[in-house]
Amino acid sequence: MTRASIAWFAAFLFVCASAGAGSLEATVSMPDGKPLEDAAVVIEPVSGVVPKPHRTAAVEQRNREFVPYVTIVQTGTMVEFPNRDPLKHHVYSFSPTKLFEIKLYAGKPMQPVLFDKPGEVAVGCNIHDWMEAYILVVNSPYFAKTSRNGKALIRDVPAGHYRLRLWHPRQKVETPLRDIEVGAAPVRLAMQTAVTPRVSKPKPPVESDKY
Amino acid sequence: MILRSLQQRIVAVFVGLLVLVMALIVTVVTSSNQRIVASEMTRELAVGTHVFKRLIEQNQRQLETAATVLSGDFAFREAIATQDKATVHSVIRNHGLRIGAQVMIVVNPDGQLIADTQQAAAPSRSFQFPDLLASAQSAGTSSGFRQMQDGFLYQIVLVPILAPKLIAWVAMGFQVDDKWALDLSDMTGLTVSVVRRHPSGGAALLASSLDQAKRAVLAEALLELSGDSNQILSIAEEHYQTLQVPLGQDVSVVLQRSLEQAQAPFRSLQRDLLMIVLAGIVLFILGSVMLARQIVRPVNALSAAAHRIEAGDYSQPVPSLPPDEIGQLALSFDHMRERIASREEKILRLAYEDTLTGLPNRTRFLELFGQLPAGSKGAVAVLDIDRFALINNALGHPVGDRLLVEIGLRLRQITTAPHFVARLWGDEFAFWLQGADKEAASVLARRVLATLRDPITLDDQRLDVGGSLGIALYPQDGSDATTLLRRAEFAMAAAKRRRNSFAFAADSGTEPAHEQLSLIGEMREAMARHEFVLHFQPKLDLASREITGAEALMRWLHPSRGMIPPVRFIPFAEQTGFILEITPWLLERVIEQAARWRREGLSLLVSANLSALDLLNPKLVGHINGLLEQHDLPASHLCLEITESALMLEPELALEHLIELSALGVKLSIDDYGSGQASLAYLKTLPVDELKIDQAFVTSVTDSPKNSAIVRSTILLSHELGLTVTAEGAETPDDLSWLTNKGCDVAQGYGIARPMPADKLPDWIAAFSARDSVKST
Repeated sequence: MTRASIAWFAAFLFVCASAGAGSLEATVSMPDGKPLEDAAVVIEPVSGVVPKPHRTAAVEQRNREFVPYVTIVQTGTMVEFPNRDPLKHHVYSFSPTKLFEIKLYAGKPMQPVLFDKPGEVAVGCNIHDWMEAYILVVNSPYFAKTSRNGKALIRDVPAGHYRLRLWHPRQKVETPLRDIEVGAAPVRLAMQTAVTPRVSKPKPPVESDKY
Repeated sequence: MILRSLQQRIVAVFVGLLVLVMALIVTVVTSSNQRIVASEMTRELAVGTHVFKRLIEQNQRQLETAATVLSGDFAFREAIATQDKATVHSVIRNHGLRIGAQVMIVVNPDGQLIADTQQAAAPSRSFQFPDLLASAQSAGTSSGFRQMQDGFLYQIVLVPILAPKLIAWVAMGFQVDDKWALDLSDMTGLTVSVVRRHPSGGAALLASSLDQAKRAVLAEALLELSGDSNQILSIAEEHYQTLQVPLGQDVSVVLQRSLEQAQAPFRSLQRDLLMIVLAGIVLFILGSVMLARQIVRPVNALSAAAHRIEAGDYSQPVPSLPPDEIGQLALSFDHMRERIASREEKILRLAYEDTLTGLPNRTRFLELFGQLPAGSKGAVAVLDIDRFALINNALGHPVGDRLLVEIGLRLRQITTAPHFVARLWGDEFAFWLQGADKEAASVLARRVLATLRDPITLDDQRLDVGGSLGIALYPQDGSDATTLLRRAEFAMAAAKRRRNSFAFAADSGTEPAHEQLSLIGEMREAMARHEFVLHFQPKLDLASREITGAEALMRWLHPSRGMIPPVRFIPFAEQTGFILEITPWLLERVIEQAARWRREGLSLLVSANLSALDLLNPKLVGHINGLLEQHDLPASHLCLEITESALMLEPELALEHLIELSALGVKLSIDDYGSGQASLAYLKTLPVDELKIDQAFVTSVTDSPKNSAIVRSTILLSHELGLTVTAEGAETPDDLSWLTNKGCDVAQGYGIARPMPADKLPDWIAAFSARDSVKST
C-alpha cells in the first residue's frame, strides 16, 4: 500500500463519519512534501441538480502579470479581464475550450468572456510573453484553490456523493477522479500531485524602455 | 690536398669558415622555419577550429533566436493552434521563407508530426529526430545537424510554440551546403568539409569549400583518417594538416590547413637567404683572394729579394712596401742586406788582401789567375827577399814588417795593369806578367831587382836588401797557378842557391808535385812487388887504374814510368820515414852481394848510402854487425856513405853511432862534400876514412878555375888529414886525367861507367881491366 493510498483511506473514514451540509478541506502537496499552491480542488455531485452559476470572475492584469494565476469558474460564468496597468494588454486564448482574443485595450474590456464549456483555458498576453493565466471551467459550484500553504477549503457542500478532481496547470499527469462522500462533518483530505516547476519567462523591468 | 701556397690557404680558411657559418645559419633557419611552420599550422588549425566551433554555436543561437521570434508570431501561433492542416502547412511555408529555412516541420507536444514542408500530405508519424525533441523538452530549444530523407544535411533548430502554454514544436532546417562551407572557410581560414561516415566504413562528402577536383580525392583520403587527431593528408600533391570535429552522430567536419600555403612565405625567405649566402660566398672568395694577394704579393717580393741575396746579389735594394708588418719586415730585411753586403765586403777584403802590405794575398792571386781570359799567355814570377830572416831576427819583427810594407809599395809601383803583384807569405811575393815571354820576364825581373837594390832607410838605418826570382812561363811550365807558383818557387830556390838573382823554371826542372805524391804512395807497394833493384857504379882507383870498389845505388823499376833514379824518390822516403824500411833491405842486399863477389874472388869495397834517419836508428849498428856475420863478410869490405847534412841533425848521436861502426871496422865516407856547411875542421873529429867531393865541383873541374881550385885544395887538405878522396861526377877522360894529376885517390862517374846491375859488374870489370891493360900497354 502506498503512502498516497493510506492518505486516501484515512480521508474516506473521516468523510463517512459526518452527515448533512459539510465542508471539504484539502491539503495538497508535492511528492517532496512541500505544499502546492494554485491547485484546483473540485467536487462534482455524482447525481442531482447542479445550481446555476451566480458569480462572475475576473482575471486582472496587474504589474504586467495575470492575477490570479489560476481561476476556477463554473461553466457559463462570465469572466472579466480588467486591465489595472497603465499600459495596454492583448489577452488571448488558443485553447479549444475557449478561443478568444481581446485586442489591445486598457481598463475594462467592452465585454466579459463567457466560458460556456468545461475544460482548461490557457490565457496569455500577446505583447507580454511571460504573462500567463489558467482558467479551469468546471460543471460544479464546489471548488477551491490551494493557497500558499497548500490548503483549499470548500464550504457549504450538501451531503452527498461527489467526484473529486485535483488539477494543476503544470501537473505532470492528470490525477484520476475519486468519489467522495460529504456529510455533516467536514471532510479533510490530503492529496499529492507532481507538477513541473513554473518556468519564469524573462520579464523586463518597467523602468527599462526596452520593452 | 695540401695547399702549398699561402694565398690558397688564406682563401681556403676564410671561405671555409664562411661556408661553415652560412651552413649553420641555413640549417638553423631551415629547421626553425620548419618548427615555426609546424607549430603555426597546429596553432592556426587550433584557432580555426575554435573559431569554427564558436561560429557554429553562434550560428545555432542566432537561428534559435530567429526561430523563437518566428514562433512567437501571434498569427503563426494562431494558425498552428487552429490545427487546420492546410493553414498550418501554408503558414510554415510562408514563415520558412521569412527566416530562410528550407525545411519547416511542426510537431505536437507528444512528438507527432502536424505538418512538414517536405511532404504535402500530412504524415501521421512521429518526428524523425526524437533526440532533438527530447533535448528541446528539457532545455526549451534544441538544435543539431541531421541528414534528412532528401540526403542533404541540415542544421535543425527546434523551438516551442507557446500560447502561452506549449502547444507545438516547430523544427526549422537550414541546409548545410557548399556555400555554408565556403562562408565558414572564409571566416576560419581553413578548408571546411562536411563528411558523413557510414557505420559500414564508407565516407561521403556532404559539403566542402574545396574545389571539385580535390573533393573526390579528399573522400578517398578521409578513409585513412582515424579519429579526430591531428593528421597530415595529402590531396592532389598538396599536404593538409587535418582535424575532424564531430557535428553530430556520424557527421563530422573536416578542417584543413594547407602545408604548402603555410610554408610559402618561409620558402621565399629561404630562397632569399640562400641567394644571400651564395652571393656572400662569392663576395668572400673575391675579397679573400684580393686580401690574400695583398698579403702574398709583398711576401713574394721579399722572397725574391731573399733569393737575390742568397745568390750573392746585394746591389738591389729590397722593394719598399706599405708600412705594415710586412713593410717593416722588408725594411729590416733591407738593413740586413746592407749589413751583409758590407760585412761580406770586409770578409772578402780580409780574405783576399794581405793586411800588412795591402797587396792581394795568395788566395786572391790564385783567383785573379783563374779569372784570366782563356788563351792568355804570360809568366808567374816569385820573389824572395834575401837575408830577410836575418833582418827580422836582428832588428825585430816590427822592422821586418815595415820593410815588407816598403817593399810592397815599391813592387806595386813597378807593376802596372794588366800585370799584378801579390804577397804570398813571409818575404815571398808573386807577380803575374800578362803576355810576358822569357825576354819580357827577364826585363821585369831585372827591374824588380833594381828596385830592391835601392837602399831602404828605416829609423835612420840603412838596409840593403836583395832578392831572388823564379819565373815560370804560362802555359809552357804549367797549366794552373799552383803548379806555376811551385815551379817558380823551385826556380827561385835554385836561383838563390846559385846566387843567380833569377832563374827560369824550365832551366831548373822539377817533377810535377802530383807525380811525386803518387810515387810516395806507391813506394810501399813497390817494396812488396820487388820493384826496387840495386845498381852498382864502379869506383876506379886512379893510382892503380883498378876497380877497387862500387857504390850501390837504388833504382825503381816502375811498371809504367820505367826506371826512376833515387834522387826522385829517396828524398821523399827520407821525409816520410819510409827510408827506415828501405835501408835494411838495401844493406842486406849490398852485404849479400859483396859476400858473393868475395866468394867469387872479386874483391871490392862496396858502398851503401845512409840517410840521417838511418844514422839515428839505434838498431843500425847491431843490424849491420848481424848481417856481416851472417854473410861472413869482413867489415872492411863495407863502406857507408853519409852526407854532411845527415850528420847535422843530431850530431852527438850520429857521432856515437859512427864511432861504433868504425869500431866494427866498417869504412865511413862523407858524401857530397862541398854542398853543405861542414868544415874540414869538424870532419877531422869524425872517425871517417874518405871524403867524396860533390859532383857539382867535379863536373866542370876542367872549365871552372874556381871549381878546380876548390877541388885541388880539398884533395890537399884531405890528404893532410889522412883521408882518401873520391871525386864524384867524373865524366870525361880529361876529368879523370886532371884528377889523377892532382892526386885524387878514387874517381866515380859516367866517364868510367854508369851504374849497372850486379850480375853485369864482374864481366864489366874483366872487360875494363882488359881494355885498360891494352890501353896502358
